Amino acid sequence: MNDTNAIAKKNRTALLLFLISLALTAVVLSLPAYRFTSSVYTKKSANTFVGDEKYTEVRAEVDAVAEEYRASGMDVSVSESVTERTNSKGEATSMVAFSVDQEFTKTGWSFLGSGLGSAWVLLAMLLCMVMSTACAAAGVIGSMGDDWHHLDGRSAAFRTASGVLALAALLLVPVFFMMNTYLMSRRVGLYLDELIPEGKDAFFAKLDGFLFGGQAGENIDDMLDGLRFRNTGAVWMVLPFAAAMMLAGIQIRNGSITHTLVRGLLYAFVIVLCLFILYPYYVMLVTAFRSIAETNDSDFLHLLPTQWRFGNLKDIVDRGVLRYLLNSLLIAGGATVIALLCGIPAAYAMARMRFKGKSVFLGFVIVSQMFSPVVLLIGIAQLIAALHLNDSIVGLMLINAAFNQAFAIWLLRGTFVSISPEMEQAAKIDGCNTVGSLVRVLLPMAAPGIVTTLIFVFINAWNEFTISSVLISTASNRPITVGITQFSNLNMIEWQNLFAASLLATIPVVILFMCIEKHLTSGLTSGGVKG
Amino acid sequence: MNKTLQNKIKPYIWLLPSIILMALFVIFPIMIVFRLAFSEVSKSGLMGGFVGLQNFKDAIGLPAFKTVMLNTLYWVISVVGLSTVLGFIIAMVLNQKFHGRKIARAILVFPWATSLVVQASVWNYIIKYEYGNLNNILLNLGIIKEAINWRSSYQIEFLWECGVGIFVTIPFVAFCVLSGLQSIDGTLYEAADIDGASYWDKLWRITVPLVKPSLTVSTVLNIIYVFNSFPIIYTMTRGAPANKTDTLVTYLYMLNFYDRQKGPATALSVIGFLVLCICAGVYMVGVMRKEEEL
Amino acid sequence: MKKLIALLLALTMVFSLGAVAFADGEDITLDVIICQYGPNTEDWFLGSGMDGTNFVDKFEEANPGIKLNLEVVSWDTVDQVVDTRISSGQAPDILNNDNFSNYAYDELLEPVSQFCPDDLYEDFFPSFIAESVIDDTVWAVPDLASARALYYNVDMFEEMGIEPPTTWAELEDVCQTILDFYDGEVYPWGIDMTSDEGQAAFAYYTWGNGGGFTDDEGNWIVNCDENVEAIEFAISLVNNGYTNPNPATQTRYDLQDMFAAGDMAMLIAPNQLPTYCADKESTVNMATANIPANEGKESASVGVMDRVMAFKDESLSEEETAARDEAIGKFLKFFYDPENYVGWVSMEGFLPAVNSAVGALVEADPSFGAWLDVLDGCRFYPTAMENYDTVREGVVKAEQAALTGADVREELDAVQAQVAPEA
Repeated sequence: MNDTNAIAKKNRTALLLFLISLALTAVVLSLPAYRFTSSVYTKKSANTFVGDEKYTEVRAEVDAVAEEYRASGMDVSVSESVTERTNSKGEATSMVAFSVDQEFTKTGWSFLGSGLGSAWVLLAMLLCMVMSTACAAAGVIGSMGDDWHHLDGRSAAFRTASGVLALAALLLVPVFFMMNTYLMSRRVGLYLDELIPEGKDAFFAKLDGFLFGGQAGENIDDMLDGLRFRNTGAVWMVLPFAAAMMLAGIQIRNGSITHTLVRGLLYAFVIVLCLFILYPYYVMLVTAFRSIAETNDSDFLHLLPTQWRFGNLKDIVDRGVLRYLLNSLLIAGGATVIALLCGIPAAYAMARMRFKGKSVFLGFVIVSQMFSPVVLLIGIAQLIAALHLNDSIVGLMLINAAFNQAFAIWLLRGTFVSISPEMEQAAKIDGCNTVGSLVRVLLPMAAPGIVTTLIFVFINAWNEFTISSVLISTASNRPITVGITQFSNLNMIEWQNLFAASLLATIPVVILFMCIEKHLTSGLTSGGVKG
Repeated sequence: MNKTLQNKIKPYIWLLPSIILMALFVIFPIMIVFRLAFSEVSKSGLMGGFVGLQNFKDAIGLPAFKTVMLNTLYWVISVVGLSTVLGFIIAMVLNQKFHGRKIARAILVFPWATSLVVQASVWNYIIKYEYGNLNNILLNLGIIKEAINWRSSYQIEFLWECGVGIFVTIPFVAFCVLSGLQSIDGTLYEAADIDGASYWDKLWRITVPLVKPSLTVSTVLNIIYVFNSFPIIYTMTRGAPANKTDTLVTYLYMLNFYDRQKGPATALSVIGFLVLCICAGVYMVGVMRKEEEL
Repeated sequence: MKKLIALLLALTMVFSLGAVAFADGEDITLDVIICQYGPNTEDWFLGSGMDGTNFVDKFEEANPGIKLNLEVVSWDTVDQVVDTRISSGQAPDILNNDNFSNYAYDELLEPVSQFCPDDLYEDFFPSFIAESVIDDTVWAVPDLASARALYYNVDMFEEMGIEPPTTWAELEDVCQTILDFYDGEVYPWGIDMTSDEGQAAFAYYTWGNGGGFTDDEGNWIVNCDENVEAIEFAISLVNNGYTNPNPATQTRYDLQDMFAAGDMAMLIAPNQLPTYCADKESTVNMATANIPANEGKESASVGVMDRVMAFKDESLSEEETAARDEAIGKFLKFFYDPENYVGWVSMEGFLPAVNSAVGALVEADPSFGAWLDVLDGCRFYPTAMENYDTVREGVVKAEQAALTGADVREELDAVQAQVAPEA
């Protein structure tokens, strides 16, 4: 039970924190946010060495130009860069490039009037902070001393909103920077290279107004071409203030900052992880439906395909991908069944029976994994020929099952060992034989291990490439991994088809996983087995 | 009498299907490899007479031998080490209860559900300097100002390969750990909570020891799989420049089918096998002794 | 227990079923392995890419009694597939590949004279046949060829108002001009020193400097002064920033993609580049010129040829062998029949290997004539030499090592020492 006064004091402190943060943000935004350098005049001089006659001549010329600008009240400086190289005759040559640069800065506040997209982001950020403070005040005033368990609905909602808004402000800060970089370097570059057709004049007029006070006019293209900019880091200082607001928001909402932060970090971690994992699949997805020219676009014009070419899918289906998928399903399914049928009894024997050579067998199982399939190919091919299993799906099932025995036996053995044998003994007393007690008692309890093994074997067999690429000779028997290679040949990589087929090849495995995922979590803990 | 005999044979009958399967498709090919390693092998792969250790001498004498062995070491340690640590952390997180856990787990399967050749191709495409997706997305999101050459030196290329290796290995480790976590009895934690144990106490005293068996298996197998992993490096660099990004398996593949020094290539695979045997042997003896003590 | 026995029984049955399926009747079945040249290869041989039908169906219809078990294999895996089949005693009957010498030295091949009908043999370009001779015996016939030349982006060169380079010195100047003119946004020159094509780079530069793989007597001269100078020149192009940035991992196809996208001004590429660019939906306007050579040295055009060969089958009786040889002959006749062959060569954009196809090809595309002249003066890799694989791998490694800063001469000395230890 918290003391009312103590709670009221905490809330007052939090509110004060909001106000201080807001005030400091206002200060930070009046600091220079970006430092710009724009060349108002450039001059290149070939075959010129620093210090020679030509150099002095040109330098004087450039200095005169700079002086002119200074006279008109602009703050300019002169810089030079030298490129030296040896020409084909073996002589050293040098080129000097002079540039008269104007330097100026822009504050955060001045961005607000620029009309650029980033201005709206900045505005949104400020609004979030202001509203966060307002919500905090609205939520706290009138219920200053109330324990947060007993808040009325309105206050609770305001207090929640306060924290969420502060979080939104926090996230908008990097967006502001990204947007500026995009607009002032990338977008400008695209317009200057005439790579995007429309809106250039309006956009450049805005930049002219913002950067040069409308002075550039006709020369805006050249002015922007020579524009360089660097952020001073001032706006980043908003981050701690927004963070402080968020913490204060959590404080007035429920008082337990650690718990909320831990949950928040948990979600943040999971979201970032998922985005990271999905990134290659996003790449596959957008590339799969691009036109060929767009898969190969060095101007990086489009994040998404301009035209989604679903015809690519038809292309790969025409080239047999569905058939390959079916083959892969058969191979992986068959291999999984065989691997489990052979692996479960072996693992059971290892876990429950005493016999000589047990550790030898375990070692043998591991040793069987130690050669790469690439190396074993010759032996496998000889054997497959002797068994007349050339070019057959059954052969691949057996091979894949054999290659995955080690994992199946080790994992299942571990699972079986961790389950107490009492229940099976009870079942045996009830009249079950060994097989019966295994199937009826042990296997249901070992579900997580079995499911893990199943997924593992299935995926490994699904992805097996080396052996099938050599053993399968008829096109209609190819698994998908081999079928895909026709899109990524040494001669030509058809990115769009390769990725379309790869995505199709990933989906069945994920569906299979989602179907059996619940067994991963059920089983031992929920079964009340140990009793 | 008959009964005891039956009991003695019984375990072996239970093992039989497994043994037959492995003897045929794994052990027999391994024997062929050993035979080849001690024989003269022609450029198109015909086996000649017995030559003793000549192939091994040739293999060790190859100029790239040392580079390749070191690369293999870096590759295995970085990929297995980091993927184990990260996989463990991810499994711990995905074992918590939160909204969307089922979706998050399904997403974690993705890298595993895609074949290595495709994974390597995608990443190859992503980090292309001229039109890759990473430059595309960073430029269009305004994170960088100019396209970056993501593979500016072979050291960096090797790091990318390790990164892709880790990326595709994490799901395997995470699911092994997750299945281990599932089998931990929840009452243990409740008891610890009553005793006032901290989060770290519970992690080190309960979680880690109980997950250890499944982690052991996954680590041993992981070392073997990563050691023998071929498609990532083969697709991304082919070991170029001059074997500086080769590992043992990609090197022996190139030696086999590009140089056509098939004898030394086979000998190299046997050397790799012996190295693995020693590592896994030491590891397993250690682990199994502890297991017996428990 | 019963389950296990049932499983074993099931396995046995599966095996024996497989065995039955293979006990075939009277027909001769030829196992054929073809490499995948492009996206259409498989469709042409097995799908419906040959005017609605395919090669195999058409052949089997025209030649009753012969069945084709034809497989289109990716270039990435073909060596692995063939070598593995050979070591497990299942060599194909007919193989289409780029290299024949290893199989010939291992006495696995049948001499061409045993299966190739005389009229067809006469039809091949004699200079091509000469490239497949070991110990005075012809072991393989060419299936198609390509010639390499300097391709350049016409629009860029017109914009800059310059001519394509003919000498190395001019090449450097042109590269610098392009770099300056386009502010470094276009790669002036393409170099591919990857494991799959580095030998081509070796040929382009050493042949353009009077060096090469072998001297006139057929001795390896990998480390001669001309070669060292040539490779050092190539490396200097990379180091000066005139080329694509990662020659050790950027394949010719990466370069072709850049060229197709207008990001590369010049590259040495085979004559099927226009076909490739068209497949990539590119609109680049290109033209060809001779490969630049060093001052005072002759420009050499580089040719690459793929081959068809037949493997021996020692399990057959003399009679059966004769029948099989005849079937292989029929296969070749059918393949090189202008009715089929012209479509095949032009689909992949290659150059023909037989005289009878020339007429139709030139008629369809007059530019073919010029290419055939180029092909006449082409030099080929010495693939018939016994240590060619070692040399090829050696020079590629040497180039790659030089890219990372190693000394070219030392690297090439090491390769030479491997193949010609006494020198």
